[in-house]
Amino acid sequence: MFLAWREINYSKTRFALIIGVVVLVSYLVFFLTGLAYGLAQENRTSVDKWDATGIVLADESNLNINMSMFPKDLMDDVEATETASLGVTSSVVQLVEETDDDSKVNVTFFGISDEEFIFPDVIEGEAFNGDNEVIADISLKEEEGYELNDELSLAGMDSTITIVGFTEDSKFNVSPVLYTDHETYQHIRASGFGEREDEIISAIVVQSDNGDLSGIELDSDDLELYGIDEFITNLPGYNAQVLTFGLMIGFLVLIAAMIIGIFIYVLTLQKSSILGVMKAQGISSKYIGKSVIGQTLLLTLFGVLTGLTLTLITGILLPNAVPYMNNFLFLISITILLIVVALLGAFFSVRTVVKIDPLEAIS
Amino acid sequence: MKLIELKNVTKVFDDGRKKIEALKETNFSVEEGEFVSIIGPSGSGKSTFLTIIGGLQTPTEGKVFINDDKFSELQEKKRAAKRFEEIGFILQASNLIPFLTVKDQLQLVNKINKTKFDKKDVESLLEELSINDLMDKYPSDLSGGERQRAAIARALYHDPSVILADEPTASLDTDRAFEVVEILGRETKKKNKATIMVTHDERLTEYCDTVYVMEDGVLSKK
Repeated sequence: MFLAWREINYSKTRFALIIGVVVLVSYLVFFLTGLAYGLAQENRTSVDKWDATGIVLADESNLNINMSMFPKDLMDDVEATETASLGVTSSVVQLVEETDDDSKVNVTFFGISDEEFIFPDVIEGEAFNGDNEVIADISLKEEEGYELNDELSLAGMDSTITIVGFTEDSKFNVSPVLYTDHETYQHIRASGFGEREDEIISAIVVQSDNGDLSGIELDSDDLELYGIDEFITNLPGYNAQVLTFGLMIGFLVLIAAMIIGIFIYVLTLQKSSILGVMKAQGISSKYIGKSVIGQTLLLTLFGVLTGLTLTLITGILLPNAVPYMNNFLFLISITILLIVVALLGAFFSVRTVVKIDPLEAIS
Repeated sequence: MKLIELKNVTKVFDDGRKKIEALKETNFSVEEGEFVSIIGPSGSGKSTFLTIIGGLQTPTEGKVFINDDKFSELQEKKRAAKRFEEIGFILQASNLIPFLTVKDQLQLVNKINKTKFDKKDVESLLEELSINDLMDKYPSDLSGGERQRAAIARALYHDPSVILADEPTASLDTDRAFEVVEILGRETKKKNKATIMVTHDERLTEYCDTVYVMEDGVLSKK
C-alpha cells in the first residue's frame, strides 16, 4: 500500500481521470439496476402485497390472468387456509372535469371482497363501502394529483367512480391498481365483455399455512393451480424485461471491470522499467504485485463508492414518475462484484510484473 | 575479509548456432573496505560481469560468493532476497523511483524488510552526502549530481556488504562525476563495504584501490 498510495498521490491527475471513469461506469451500472428493479417492481408490487402461496386460474388461460375467467361459485372447489376471489380488468380513467387525452390514465381494476385476505391496507381515507367506490394506489395521488373524493369517468361507461381511499405499493403490469367490490367490478368488466348472469372472476388467490402448494386442494378440471412465483414470471412482458436488464447489467459489470483492468495493465506496462530496477534491487515480485493489487483496490473502492453515492442522491432527486427503486441487496452485491472482477483484471498485471526481467531493465 | 569472491567463473551465451564467450574463466575477489573499478570499452563484458556478481544472471560455470555465501547457487527467489539484503545498486540513470520523495525511497526499504523507519538515521546519512535539505523532493526535482547522491544514499541505506555501481557518472559533467566517485570511495572506507564501479572513464579511477581492465571477456589487473 505504501507504493500504491504514494504513486496515486504523485500522479494525481492521471489517477483522478481513471477514478472518474470508474465512477461514471459504476454510476451507470447502479442507476440502471435501480431502474430495472423499479420497473420490475411496478409489474408485481400488487401481487407481492398479497403474500400469497399460489393462484388458481382458468385452465385454458395459459397463465395469463387477463384471459382467465370463471364463475365465482367455483371457489367452493378450492380448499386452502385462505382463499380470495379476484377479478382483474384493465381500463382507462380520467377526472370527470377533464376532457383532453393527456389526462387519461391506464389503470388495472381489482375486484375484491372486503372479507378476504388480499384486501389492501388503507393508508389514507377509508375502505370502499358500496357502489362505484374505489381504493386507489397512492401513485395516482403522487403522479397524477388525484385526491380523495375525486370522481373519475371510465372509458366506455356512463357512470363514474369515486376515490374513497389510498393504499401503497399497488402496481400491476406497470399501471396503478384501483380496488373495488365485486359488484362494481362486474359492471366495469361488462363494459368490455357484455353482461353475464353469473358473477365472473379472474382468479382465486390462495394462501396455505406451510407456504407450500401441497397444502392446497383443487377439485375442478376447469381450474389450474400455479405457484405465485411462476405466476409473476409469466406476467406479460415481465420475464423479457428482467432478462434484458439483467444481461445489460451483467455486461456492464464485465465492461467496467475490463476498463479498470486495462487501465491498471497499461499503467504497469508504462512503469515496467522502474519495476525492473526495483526487481534488480531485490524487491520481490510479490511485494510489487501486492502493491498493484492494492492500487486497484483503492481505485475501484473509491470509484465504485462514489458511483454508489451519486446513484443514491439521484434516486432521491428523481421525480416519482421514474420507476427507480433501490434494492440494497443488489447494490451491495454489484459493489462487491465490481471490486472482485476488477481485482481479477489486476492479476493480469501481476503476471506481467512477475515476467519482467530485471536484467533487461538495467542494461 | 573477502566480501565478493568469484571462483572459475565463465559466462557463455548460446543462441543455438554460435557460442559467444562473454566472460572467460575469471577468479576475482574484493575485500571489505576496498574500492575496485573496472574499465573497458563498451561490449567488453563489464556489465555482464557486474550482473553476474549481482545475481541477475547465473554463471555458466564457477561460483560466486557474496559475504561467504554461495550466492550463485541459490534459487532465484532466495537470490533476490539476498540481493535485497546484501547488495546496493547504483545505476547509470539512477535507481530511484520517480514517484517517491528522497525520504520515501529510503522508507520503502523499511516497509519491505519490516523494520522501523528512523528519521535520525536518514538525516545523518543524507547529511553525509550533503543532500539533507532535499529529503522531500522528488527525483525529477533534483539535478543529476543530487540524483546520484540520493541513489548512493538508497544503496547504502539498508547497510549491504556490497555496492555495485554501473556507470554511475555517465550522465554527469566532470566536476559532478569526480564528486560522486569521491563520495563513493569515502563511504566504502567508512562503512567497510566492498565496492565495484564499472566505468569507461579512466580519469575517475584515481579514487579506487584497484583497477581492472576488461577486454573481450578477459579481466586483468591494471
